[in-house]
Amino acid sequence: MNVLLAVKQYVAKMIEDSGPGMKVLLMDKETTSIVSMVYTQSEILQKEVYLFERIDSLNRETMKHLKAICFLRPTKENVDYLIQELRKPKYSIYFLYFSNVISKSDVKSLAEADEQEVVAEVQEFYGDYIAVNPHVFSLNILGCSQGRSWDPLQLSRTTQGLTALLLSLKKCPMIRYQVSSDMGKRLAEGVKQVITKEYELFDFRRTEVPPLLLILDRSDDSITPLLNQWTYQAMVHELLGINNNRINLSRVPGISRDLREVVLSAENDEFYANNMYLNFGEIGSNIKNLMEDFQRKKPKEQQKLESIADMKAFVENYPQFKKMSGTVSKHVTVVGELSRLVSERHLMEVSEVEQELACQNDHSTAYQNVKRLVQNPKVSELDAVRLVLLYALHYERHSSNNLPGLLMDLRNRGISEKYRKLVSAVVEYGGKRVRGSDLFSPKDAVAITKQFFKGLKGVENVYTQHQPLLQETLDQLIKGKLKENLYPYLGPSTLRDRPQDIIVFIIGGATYEEALTVYNLNRTTPGVRIVLGGTTIHNTKSFLEEVSAAGLYNRSTEHAQITARPSSRR
Amino acid sequence: MAANYPPPFDDQGEVREGFLCPLCLKDLQSFHQLHSHYEEEHSSEDRDVKGQLKSLVQKAKNKLLRREAERTDCGSQERYEAYSYGGVDPYMWEPQELGATKSHLSDFKKHRAARIDHYVVEVNKLIIRLEKLTSFDRTNTDSAKIRAIEKSVVPWVSDQDVPFCPDCGNKFSMRNRRHHCRLCGSIMCKKCMELVLLPLASKLTSSNKPNFVSHGSPNLSPNSTQASRRGSISSVSSISSVLDEKDDEQIRCCQHCKKTLLKREQQIDEKHYTPDIIKLYEKLRLCMERIDLKAPDYIKMAQSINAGETTYSLEHANDLRLEVQKLYELIDALSKKILTLGMNEEPKPPARTQQLQKMIRYSATLFIQEKLLGLMSLPTKENYEALKEKRKYHLERQAALEAHRQLEEKEKDSTAPNGGVSLSRRNQFRKSEGWLPMAGGQCDREISDPLLQQIDNITSFIEQARAANRSDEVKILQENLRQLQDEYEQQQVQAAIELSQKTAEEEAMQREQLEVLLKREREREKHRGLTQHSRTRSLDFREVRQQQPPEITRALDLDSAHLKHSPLAKLSPLQQSSSQDLGCLINRRKASEDNPQPHVNQNESLNPFEEEEADLSNPFSEDVYVGLGQASKDVDRGEKEYNPFEEDQQMPGVASPPSNNFEDQSNFTLGNPFENSSPTNPFEVDGCEDELIGRQGDEAIDEDLLLQQIDNIKAYIFDAKHSGRMDEVELLTENLRELKRTLAKQKAKSK
Repeated sequence: MNVLLAVKQYVAKMIEDSGPGMKVLLMDKETTSIVSMVYTQSEILQKEVYLFERIDSLNRETMKHLKAICFLRPTKENVDYLIQELRKPKYSIYFLYFSNVISKSDVKSLAEADEQEVVAEVQEFYGDYIAVNPHVFSLNILGCSQGRSWDPLQLSRTTQGLTALLLSLKKCPMIRYQVSSDMGKRLAEGVKQVITKEYELFDFRRTEVPPLLLILDRSDDSITPLLNQWTYQAMVHELLGINNNRINLSRVPGISRDLREVVLSAENDEFYANNMYLNFGEIGSNIKNLMEDFQRKKPKEQQKLESIADMKAFVENYPQFKKMSGTVSKHVTVVGELSRLVSERHLMEVSEVEQELACQNDHSTAYQNVKRLVQNPKVSELDAVRLVLLYALHYERHSSNNLPGLLMDLRNRGISEKYRKLVSAVVEYGGKRVRGSDLFSPKDAVAITKQFFKGLKGVENVYTQHQPLLQETLDQLIKGKLKENLYPYLGPSTLRDRPQDIIVFIIGGATYEEALTVYNLNRTTPGVRIVLGGTTIHNTKSFLEEVSAAGLYNRSTEHAQITARPSSRR
Repeated sequence: MAANYPPPFDDQGEVREGFLCPLCLKDLQSFHQLHSHYEEEHSSEDRDVKGQLKSLVQKAKNKLLRREAERTDCGSQERYEAYSYGGVDPYMWEPQELGATKSHLSDFKKHRAARIDHYVVEVNKLIIRLEKLTSFDRTNTDSAKIRAIEKSVVPWVSDQDVPFCPDCGNKFSMRNRRHHCRLCGSIMCKKCMELVLLPLASKLTSSNKPNFVSHGSPNLSPNSTQASRRGSISSVSSISSVLDEKDDEQIRCCQHCKKTLLKREQQIDEKHYTPDIIKLYEKLRLCMERIDLKAPDYIKMAQSINAGETTYSLEHANDLRLEVQKLYELIDALSKKILTLGMNEEPKPPARTQQLQKMIRYSATLFIQEKLLGLMSLPTKENYEALKEKRKYHLERQAALEAHRQLEEKEKDSTAPNGGVSLSRRNQFRKSEGWLPMAGGQCDREISDPLLQQIDNITSFIEQARAANRSDEVKILQENLRQLQDEYEQQQVQAAIELSQKTAEEEAMQREQLEVLLKREREREKHRGLTQHSRTRSLDFREVRQQQPPEITRALDLDSAHLKHSPLAKLSPLQQSSSQDLGCLINRRKASEDNPQPHVNQNESLNPFEEEEADLSNPFSEDVYVGLGQASKDVDRGEKEYNPFEEDQQMPGVASPPSNNFEDQSNFTLGNPFENSSPTNPFEVDGCEDELIGRQGDEAIDEDLLLQQIDNIKAYIFDAKHSGRMDEVELLTENLRELKRTLAKQKAKSK
């Protein structure tokens, strides 16, 4: 069930099968990201892969002493490029690997182009998704919907990605989907169709309890992607943005050239692996320890290099030290920047109100707090909009809802039309009318008492009160209590036992907060393995883009009226 | 169900495999049986309580184990929280097999074969005709006869059938005459006509034989291979006839045939041409393979020798060491050679080729860096003697201690027959492997109840913990024990308790018996230990004696040999002994390592790995310090809690080493035994290319260090200026000046 390992094994197998000798890896844009998530350059260099080329880059030189390993998505363009390549081969021998199912006719046209017999292997290796963590994958699709239905292109890409994931993990699952989401149903059917069509591929050794694929829709929980985060990985993504493990720091004031862009990969960075799920306070102290450790290991040369023994010791420790100093400087920079942003944007204060909005039901306090912060000029535009969004979602149907007032405040602050329009768009995207499950008020007696006790005792950490809806959904799923009328099975058969291997896919994108939730569920629930995927991994910005890409503005006349009202009042 | 997923830290020693019931550890044959068993036997029990109990025990055990691990390597961070609540960290999911794959190769080959057969037949046909056309002495045959032969090779298309040139469409006339392709018989105009010169023809036909055989890949259909063979037999005779060239030595053909032939020629060229890079690269890989083969052997030897053991001889190890080092040298030199391949020529090799060369060099550097670090040094002759002595002494002491202890134990055993003390002592030895449930108990008796077993385990843990004086763990364990016992009481009726008493009695009896057995065993062991010891000791002496002769001290002891005629002699003996060549090697290598760095940074291509790596795997960039300085400033601004660089900034005066220090160092490296091997190196010349890589790397070390110092100091100055500590700035600039002076001196010296 380790998605990262699954892709890694595919790549390793490709390279291994091509035998000894100098190699070039020929990829397309997407497979480049896929491979770069699981292998670093130095790792892959050790396997004699010295060059990385894009299939679509023109004017590649002829290098007949190289073997070419082609890892490509089986798209029309790629097949065309490959046909051209094979007609005039630039490398001595070709090993072709496609990341998904390729049609017979494409194989035929490729074969006919290979007049010089340079192709030695043609295989399908289903590494057709971005492996983010061992239990998290993404398809890097931003804006998968048009209105409330699929962008047809993205539907087919998502289906391919999801079926590739199933194949790479060797799972032939039962499928459940969120009934309130039409997109969910469509995707479920698409996946089912592929499984039926490629039944030979999906013929795996049967397990006692079949794996389960649960398809959810982001619109059911628009709160989670709108919250500020306080665990390392999520926070970095929210404040700096993680793109294929890479973080752009070029906007950090006074950044050195080397640190403009850094890589955070749990595979190669022990500190990151240890701290990615810890909260900001803990990271602060851990990074201090790291610095102290570094200080201790740091060669003495800066203090004194008086004897040859000192010199020698320095030189012997040098590579290690350099590696460590790379890690240290990277994390110190990142954490430093995070803490700068936290204080600059008053994120502590903002986040507290956010969490209240998300988890408590006290309208008047919430309203007061939001109003106060929106009017505070030190709170950034994004955060002000974020608060209004959360308010709009939570108190959408509240009797004393005063969203227009807040929108006015936003306007008075001079926040652009684009942002203000987003408020109605987000409500349209994930408002009560759309949601299949109740995001805010607790459902059953147990949850009510739990919340009651919570209220009595006070929460341990005001910044991390919120639990994504996914937590509850998965909890019920594991206990076998997930309602079948809300999350029906596709097809007649149902699961009688508790599920063991679960793949959750969120249409419209997952978040790192949910990744953490799934990570914790994995660690605390015996006998259950959960993998989380999404069309992308969101932070607030990308989520807002997703919403505006869906183009849901003009559908709601009701909200148009609401937004129009303040002007008439004036 | 949980049986399928044992907690990751489960003690391997007691894990039984198969479908075990998690509660009573009963082995059931299949999952079905286990399931039904579980439902039948344990359904009444509250599962959660069970799970909790288990995890509690687990927690305590983990704590003990962890303590152990921390002791062995303190400082190393625990990768993940070892606490297990019953679930599994995704990072620790069990290894999985390769995902599904599907091969299209047979399909592909089928389609290709159909196409290729056609193509190959065409080419072969042309070549066979070409052979026939060149198989006679063209110059001495009159043209009519030539024409007759040419017509016999391929039937010519009749003139009337072709009124226009099929290639350019011009009408044939008296002025625009028809020409026949001698290879396919088709007609074209003069403009569209191509000529095949005889040298080309001979090249194509003569390479026919070996080439066709190798070209015929396994998937070619048999008849095409046969066709080529047939052609090649006749070709042998043709070679000699074509050698002498005359002016009209050419064969007319059409564009299409010429194109096919040229393509063929290109293939032949490629087949026979191996670029230099391949040759060098193959050598490089060979060296790497040999290192992979030899290094583990050497490390084993060095470890054993450094421990003072006498299994391997020091000379042999030294030989091996030299050999491995030579290989490293060779790798270094070869990869450098690859790097500079064709760089002196104009025009320079294309960009991608250059990059390939850089990447090969980079990976070779990585290889050396990784492997060489693990290559430990050997003790010198004298040190080795000392080590051996030490070990001998150690062994003796151990033996004495052992004997003493056994004596003690014997006394105790005789006074305390239940053997509780000795048991706990024995368990102390086991600690490193984790605390196992008492071996004595479990294998001898069958406890039917799992709880009893647990209780038993815990009791033994408590004993072990007590023996190790860890009162906190004892407390935890005792609590566990209490809970377990409560649970047990709740669950079992009176009969069970009776049973437990009975088993306890049995156990006591068995322990007594066991004790007797153990005692005997120990006595036997003691005897054996003593004899063994005396044997090793005598061996030791022999070794020592063997190594005493003076002629050996001369051999291979390069360090001391060099000391005599190097100015290093004035160094203190301590420094001499520490002047291991390994240090120097790394030193030099490091200097050369600086080189690949700029290449990687230069690469501006689409390659996504490059940027990604720039900071991670390329740890040699000099600006890291600067970056760090700034980074720390950022943190400073943000938190104002700590400034990791404060102390550095406060002692800038010390930062620049006295210049004579460097003199010593260069002298010292001159005396480096490694130096000797370099003049024999055939690649010496290449080194001049750039100073950093070059053979004069010995000086480069100093320069490198100096440069680095200068960089550091610059960073400090920058920092100090920023925070307005002017006095420091002054001090630092002075330092900087001094350093630069030293550097200049150093440079002058190296020239």
